[in-house]
Amino acid sequence: MGASAALIEVHDLTRTFGGVRALDGVTLAVRAGERRAVIGPNGAGKTTLFNVLTGELSPTAGSVRLAGRDITRATTWQRARWGLARMYQRNELFAPLSARENVALAVASRAGPYRLFGSSGAESKMADELLAKVGLAGRESSAARALSHGERRQLELAVSLAQGPEVLLLDEPTAGMSPAETARITELIASLDRALTILIVEHDMDVVFRLADRISVLHEGRVIADGAPGQIRGDVRVNEVYLGKAVTVG
Amino acid sequence: MRRVATWLAIAVAAAGLVAFPYWSAGWESSRFATTVLRDILVFAIFALSLDLLVGFAGMPSLGHAAFFGAGAYAAGIASQRLATSELAVTLAAAAASAALLALVIGALVVRTAGIFFLMLTLAFAQIVFAIAFQWTSVTGGSNGLAGVGRPDLFGIDLSSSERIYVLVAVAFLAIALGLRAIVHSPYGRALVGVRENERRMRALGYDTTRLRLSAFVLAGTIAGIAGALSAYSLRFVSAQDVGIGTSIRGFVMVLIGGAGTLVGPVLGAAIVTYIERVLSSATPVAETVLGLVFIGFVLLARQGLVGIGRAAWAQARR
Amino acid sequence: MSPELLFEQALNGLSFGALLFILAAGLSLVFGMMDVVNLAHGAFYMLGAYVALSVVQRTGSFWLALVVAPLALGILGVILEPLLLRRLRGRHLDQVLLTIGVSLVIVDQIGAIWGREVRSLAAPAGLDGSVPLVGGEYPVYRLFVIGFGVLLAAVVSVVHQRTKVGMLIRAGVEDAEMLGALGVNTDRLFAATFAVGAALAGLAGVVAAPVFGLQPGMDGDALIYSLVVVVVGGLGTLGGAIAGSALVGPADTFGKVLFQEFALAVIFAIVALVLLFRPTGLLGRIRVAR
Repeated sequence: MGASAALIEVHDLTRTFGGVRALDGVTLAVRAGERRAVIGPNGAGKTTLFNVLTGELSPTAGSVRLAGRDITRATTWQRARWGLARMYQRNELFAPLSARENVALAVASRAGPYRLFGSSGAESKMADELLAKVGLAGRESSAARALSHGERRQLELAVSLAQGPEVLLLDEPTAGMSPAETARITELIASLDRALTILIVEHDMDVVFRLADRISVLHEGRVIADGAPGQIRGDVRVNEVYLGKAVTVG
Repeated sequence: MRRVATWLAIAVAAAGLVAFPYWSAGWESSRFATTVLRDILVFAIFALSLDLLVGFAGMPSLGHAAFFGAGAYAAGIASQRLATSELAVTLAAAAASAALLALVIGALVVRTAGIFFLMLTLAFAQIVFAIAFQWTSVTGGSNGLAGVGRPDLFGIDLSSSERIYVLVAVAFLAIALGLRAIVHSPYGRALVGVRENERRMRALGYDTTRLRLSAFVLAGTIAGIAGALSAYSLRFVSAQDVGIGTSIRGFVMVLIGGAGTLVGPVLGAAIVTYIERVLSSATPVAETVLGLVFIGFVLLARQGLVGIGRAAWAQARR
Repeated sequence: MSPELLFEQALNGLSFGALLFILAAGLSLVFGMMDVVNLAHGAFYMLGAYVALSVVQRTGSFWLALVVAPLALGILGVILEPLLLRRLRGRHLDQVLLTIGVSLVIVDQIGAIWGREVRSLAAPAGLDGSVPLVGGEYPVYRLFVIGFGVLLAAVVSVVHQRTKVGMLIRAGVEDAEMLGALGVNTDRLFAATFAVGAALAGLAGVVAAPVFGLQPGMDGDALIYSLVVVVVGGLGTLGGAIAGSALVGPADTFGKVLFQEFALAVIFAIVALVLLFRPTGLLGRIRVAR
């Protein structure tokens, strides 16, 4: 393990809620630049895993490393500073602020907030570029709450990208989107810088197979399979607990 | 061109405000108007500082009087014990005391939000009040701290009521302009971010606890300056300055005027001070009027006068 | 401190604690059910004391006042909740702000009606003397306060644990909206809750009046102490109100003896410690701080 090039190493991670083991000894290693999908049925522990990775939940046992650094006890904001960003499943935006201001706050986080005077012209310009990149050109001045659901997902992505992360956690990026919107955001994610490490939780298998280099399957808080998309497609157990029920794998 | 015109208008208005006691000197009621305006401006500073918390950072403090009072007592005590009337010294003492107190209380309360924050700021401020009330040897207790000296600034005597007014007006303008810059700065935007979505702010890499603490200390320090100005103006510090009544008065000003704006607290300070100073001589139940007005705004116009104004403006433009 | 003084102060602490329980129980109940910190609670307490003063002046009966004042406050509560708070249901912070306005109006009206000077209310006949106790005399009325507080705590506990009303309250504290879904009329439930909370504040005002007297500012003191009790004990639970008052009453009393003018620093320290090390309060479940 020590010499591995893994950017994220999750070791024997366990999280219990009362008597329920949401995560039960999860071990994962994600290389730099890898695009890893985490799939599994509802309640498999995917969102809990993300919450533990970002530090919004602390694990009952186990450890998390980012670029070799033990971050198990680090706060959420520290992890963000060290390069971890998250696109939330349920949008976490600044509702009354404009799309531009939403993204500018993310851009500004790098320079820190303790700048009492001075304007944010440069940040606004970067924000506009990012908004154009995610397909929100022309919507810069609209309040986040005035955007459509699909647009808000795009904004959510822009906000997480604006942090300039090394690792991007995508929590069901296509949740609630129309097929056309899904296709668009999928291509957008596919076109992101290959150096960016991506962990993605997604129910839409087409999206998963389009984006992932490697897939981990969670079931009842455990990793039951871990491999290249081709292997996972052929895995009998995976098909039993998950794929076989929900989707026809083409 | 229009920008220049705007700034010119502001500069003229500012000069008019600062020079009020001089150009109004011919009026019969000039002296009374000057003291009322002075008190309005002191409370406008206080309300502005509270609005930084309540309106911008989303931290509804009901204990802001603790810092106003700390500043007032510190300025008064410093001038008496250090036997100096140098403004730079007493004002620095006021700001530092308020900042320190805000740091101590803030460290305990900034981890709480919403109603809990409100409750705890209220409770801690009331404890500060009780200490001020009971520590007679230092604060004068229930008799208050009388005979606070009027300051001078590097040899300029500020003891006349006109000059004290000028000091208050200049401080008000400086603080209002400073806050205007701050709320538009990256710092001010970050505070709004914390108000709107603290979870996202943490996920973006902001230490939101520290941000909230910094806002608490900044607002407390400005409130302390307002307290010192009040002590210079009235030459007296009352335990009530620290009391819940003062905290509530500030909160009412912010809410009636419009939280999260810079004009709102100033308007609110003017209205509340007017009700208390002018109406109270006409009716014995000024506080009741104030309470009813406040209830009305909470029920019907939560965005305050500025909100009403904006809605009317939007209506008119349609 | 001599043993006699220690004993006397312990009794003082207990009687203050008993009083705090009566006061804080109402605040805690309203918070538990409605998620509203009623900042007019101190004003209700004050009003209870002044209503009692008038009843005693007219009829000479403290015991009648002990019934009438809580009843009057209960009626006020049952009027105010639908009139004001209900309009802002779900906006808890705004509801709290409303209670500030209510408090301003009530306190000012008390001043207008009863005057703004210090008043006193005599303890009822039979309880106005002193009894010999460990090398000294001790006022009977304070012993009565202890007994009354303990009795009330016991009665409320039984109601809370054993009766249908208690079950409703426990469920409501857990999730008041859910009770609505189960067919309980939440409008009526909240109005009743607010009324009972107000009545308890009024009751505390009557009981406290012979001990502390009546004066401007008593509303603020009552509010702060009751807030401290519920934060320390734990918000919204009966056990929390009991534990909080049992701790804060004696702590404050001994603080006053030991540190005189810095007594409140003791309270400050207790609240600070609770916040830092036990953010739910001693017996609560709701985290006040992260």
